[in-house]
Amino acid sequence: MNRLLAVLLLAAVASPAGAAAPDPATPAGLEALVRLIDDRQRNQGDWKALCYMEAKEKGKTDVVSELLVYRRDADEKQMFLFTKPKAEAGKGYLRIEKNLWMYDPATGRWERRTERERIGGTDTRRGDLAESRLAEEYHASYVGVAPLGKYQAWHLTLKVKPGIDVAFPQVELWIDQATQNILKRQELALSGKLMRTAYYPRWKKVPSPSKGGDVWYPEEMRFYDEIEKGNSTLVLIKEIDLRPLEANLFTKAWLESRSR
Amino acid sequence: MLLVDLQVAARNLTRHTRRNLFLGAALASVTGLLVLLGALTAGIEGSMMESATTLMTGDVNVGGFFKVTSGSAAPLVSGYPKVLAVTRAAVPELDYFTVRGRGWAKAVSDSASMDLVLGGVDIANEPAVRRVLQPIGGSLDELAKPNTMLLFQGQADRLKVGVGDVITLSAPTERGVNNTVDIRIAVVVRNVGIMSAFSAFIQADTLRGLYGLSPEATGAIHLFLKDRDQSNLVAARLREEFEKQGWRVMEPDPQPYYMKLFQTVPSEDWTGQKLDVTTWEDELGQFKQFIWGIKVFTGLLVFILMVVIVIGILNTLAIAIRERTREIGTLRAIGMQRRKVLWLFMLESGLLGLFGCVFGALAASALAAGLNAAAIPVPEAVQLFLSQEHLTFQLKAGAAVSDVLLLTLVTVGASLGPALRAARLKPITAMHHIG
Repeated sequence: MNRLLAVLLLAAVASPAGAAAPDPATPAGLEALVRLIDDRQRNQGDWKALCYMEAKEKGKTDVVSELLVYRRDADEKQMFLFTKPKAEAGKGYLRIEKNLWMYDPATGRWERRTERERIGGTDTRRGDLAESRLAEEYHASYVGVAPLGKYQAWHLTLKVKPGIDVAFPQVELWIDQATQNILKRQELALSGKLMRTAYYPRWKKVPSPSKGGDVWYPEEMRFYDEIEKGNSTLVLIKEIDLRPLEANLFTKAWLESRSR
Repeated sequence: MLLVDLQVAARNLTRHTRRNLFLGAALASVTGLLVLLGALTAGIEGSMMESATTLMTGDVNVGGFFKVTSGSAAPLVSGYPKVLAVTRAAVPELDYFTVRGRGWAKAVSDSASMDLVLGGVDIANEPAVRRVLQPIGGSLDELAKPNTMLLFQGQADRLKVGVGDVITLSAPTERGVNNTVDIRIAVVVRNVGIMSAFSAFIQADTLRGLYGLSPEATGAIHLFLKDRDQSNLVAARLREEFEKQGWRVMEPDPQPYYMKLFQTVPSEDWTGQKLDVTTWEDELGQFKQFIWGIKVFTGLLVFILMVVIVIGILNTLAIAIRERTREIGTLRAIGMQRRKVLWLFMLESGLLGLFGCVFGALAASALAAGLNAAAIPVPEAVQLFLSQEHLTFQLKAGAAVSDVLLLTLVTVGASLGPALRAARLKPITAMHHIG
């Protein structure tokens, strides 16, 4: 409960005034709302961010990492480059042609990993820092209005569309009525068991020249492992840069060159 | 004539009781140690191989991998009844088979978690498993029920769970969708060595449910042959047969399947089903290396002991010849040929070696039997490597006889030099020898 209150307090501080929102109680409004959530976070061009990750695992020392995240959504390319701590510096993930590769500078080897890889062994997954595709991947249904602290939130249930592979076939979303930003997200396994809860207490927007409008992003994300209670990860997104990236950036050679 | 020579040699041995007793005791000790080390190694190898071949692999395994995308891999054989039919037709050497699910999952209890390599078993069709696994809580029959699991003692301790407790298994399906199953611990069994550290068993259909597999999918078919030595031949034949029938078959690679699953296969650029035919030696590569390591260590120890023994024999016989120089001179003077002197000395050494070694082997066998009966517990940390809870010596008559013969031959060989020196002595010089 304390966790929720803290998160919502932060959300209250960061909430911008909302615009008129679609009404999810109607089928058309529901579809429009899910599309709106995707569109607000979508950028037409490239995307670069400096991120911090703090992973807490029960019985282990906390691990804090700094990494750069690069995206080129038009080509479905994505790259993670760890810069801190020293032991992890140079390690990276590269997603090209729907394949995720991991590079370990200690061995100089590339390994193909599953798309649902836990980034750096934390509770963060590649998709958490990728383009939002809720409308493409899920069917939404409206559950109702659910108060989260002093905020009114729409509660939606998303179920995966047939033939689409996602890490979590069912997602529960709580969307702030005032800002239309996601406040809370719960991800369920195929069995229906709750696996992970995420809180998004702070959202920010940056102007995107390529989009010709604002791009919203969660400045802070908190992931709680619901299977292994006590494990959690905090992700902070800093220094967003939406200017075009180098053309040859999403290559193994580029990532390798950064680790030398 | 030989009988007379033997009598002479035996009489000579009894005349120098103290020295010969000392040398005989040394030979007996080395033989005993050799027999004991051999029995211990055989015990470790026997229990490790029995448990490993029962729990992890058949003599030949028909497994495979299914890749939905290039970057993912699941250890499974889809449509296994058809694969099994081809296998049965192609392998007349088949004694029996078991069908095993293969998987990997994170096991999470209220207080801890660990990664486990899972085997999906139909316990009603796994008679050999009952022979190897000893329950310390619960019943193996319970493993026939859905959503049940078998844990080894060490795993149960680590997860802090017991029979009847429920844990959660979490794993991605072959399509990468996260799934979980809440599962009851039906039985906890004694550790059986290194495999107890990472592998556990789950009811076969529950494993299929966790991975979202059809009833016609499994992990591997374990084939047990009438003669295990035919494994390589059968595996090669099966590869050919599957290719003829249109399946894609992986190249032979002597690695356990879980190493391929995590290291090799996800990096390969193909999708769909490939069959992988392996032998027990492929799957147990690391166990064989461990046994080989023990054998190398034992061999080194025995070699050092043999060097010590040879030096001892050389010294003792050199002293004996020096003491008996006048006797040799007298024997030569009354007409004994050099060849006969050589023969007598070697016969003495041979007799001493044979008696000493036989005594040592018998004493070691008795000691090993006593230690087996005493069931001395092995420290927990060592159990993992020795695959034994109690110190077990596996005595093999053939091995003991070989040890005795080897050491007797070494003794005779070591006496050759001093015996030649004795035979070369001139009678007159020898008779004048003072000392």
